[in-house]
Amino acid sequence: MFTVRRWWERYGSQFILIGIVLGVALFIRQTQGALIFELYAHAIRPFQTGPPPDEKWREGEVERLEGQLTALEKQNEELKKLLDYKEEQQLESISARIIGRSVDHWWQQIILDQGSNEGVKEGYVVTSPGGLVGRVIKVTPHTSRVLLISDPTSRVGAKLSRNNYMGYIRGGTKGTATMVFYEKVPNVKKGDQVVTSPASQLFPPGIHIGVVESVHLQQNPAPEVEIKLTAPIEFLEWVTIHPHTTKY
Amino acid sequence: MLKFLEAAPRLRHLFNWLIIVGSALLCLLILPARLPGTELMGIRPNWLLIWVVVWSVKRTVWQGALAGIALGLIQDGMTAINVPTVPDQTIFTLSDETKVVVDIALSYPSHIISLTIVGVLTARIQKQRYIQEDFISIALIVFGMAVIAETVTAVQYSLQGFRNPALVWTEHQRIALSSAILSSLWAPVVYYPLNRWWEYLNSKEQTS
Repeated sequence: MFTVRRWWERYGSQFILIGIVLGVALFIRQTQGALIFELYAHAIRPFQTGPPPDEKWREGEVERLEGQLTALEKQNEELKKLLDYKEEQQLESISARIIGRSVDHWWQQIILDQGSNEGVKEGYVVTSPGGLVGRVIKVTPHTSRVLLISDPTSRVGAKLSRNNYMGYIRGGTKGTATMVFYEKVPNVKKGDQVVTSPASQLFPPGIHIGVVESVHLQQNPAPEVEIKLTAPIEFLEWVTIHPHTTKY
Repeated sequence: MLKFLEAAPRLRHLFNWLIIVGSALLCLLILPARLPGTELMGIRPNWLLIWVVVWSVKRTVWQGALAGIALGLIQDGMTAINVPTVPDQTIFTLSDETKVVVDIALSYPSHIISLTIVGVLTARIQKQRYIQEDFISIALIVFGMAVIAETVTAVQYSLQGFRNPALVWTEHQRIALSSAILSSLWAPVVYYPLNRWWEYLNSKEQTS
């Protein structure tokens, strides 16, 4: 008993302090750093001013619209065949400023200044004037964290808008991505537009992703092509968040 | 300077904790920011690693490990993905996409391992024998530790197998070098004020 008390008198306070430090760290781990991102959003608020830079948006927007047009023409053709076409309900989108980048180089994420207070939910889809950017993976009251499609762990169901060949896109490095096809010999050439596929469960169909840059059909186990993402992810300052319910 | 601190040792201790927690929090808050002048090829300094090195450099192995675990946990939380992501290869039949939705959070490489190794190694280095306590040596230690930390992450990725190992190692070269250079250049910014404070604290402790 005496030794225990002696020990406690000598080391008790240290013991408690270590407990507190680890406890706080574990709490932050479990809440996925919500506290820190909230604090961060408030800390950098005074440094943010100015409206979105309109001119810079336009160039990317034109490119996206071109891609969208090809997709829509194709879709329109198909829709004419379908009589029971129902229009999907459109929810209002939220525009948000990028206030931070991922906290580690191995992760490709961005932090936005709109959170659950403005109605953002996990699974919502993020786009920019160039096209698809990513998906919301964590929301705090004033911030939301987005997994970019350029992250190597990201997978997006995609198709060629010219002929509907399906596949999926995984992130690469420096604004490129790789598209892997389900077909053995897909009809694909440089310059083809790539959009999200209707089979994707994480993204709504028909969002522009990028342009085919180079083709490697000999890849095993499935043919691959390099995609140049049209959204200038590295240089973005503003993005749009679209409500989307994940299908699973 | 700071008369009220000279008088009361208890207050000094409280102040010490405030500075420790405050500086670590500041490093955490800088992490997502893109400060001008701190970027090299899209890579930024690893502020948490700098903090762990500065903390461990004059402390015991256990204290170094503790700092590594605590900050590693926090950084894990800040990068975690809890929303399911659709994994590779397995989605060849489209209708099965739903079945293979997995929780990546568990399989992700952890920062705890790399930061703890950094804390322990830094505390173990026989500084008094080999290296002198100055900016240059701190910068050198940070450089080495940054390379080690990124290598640990890359090894975790290779073992985990979710990414293409060849890509991981080319990525590793790019990240490790830029991050090591930047971190070692910015290390004095964290080291100088904290070291000054802890030296002052030490001198007070010895006289009283």
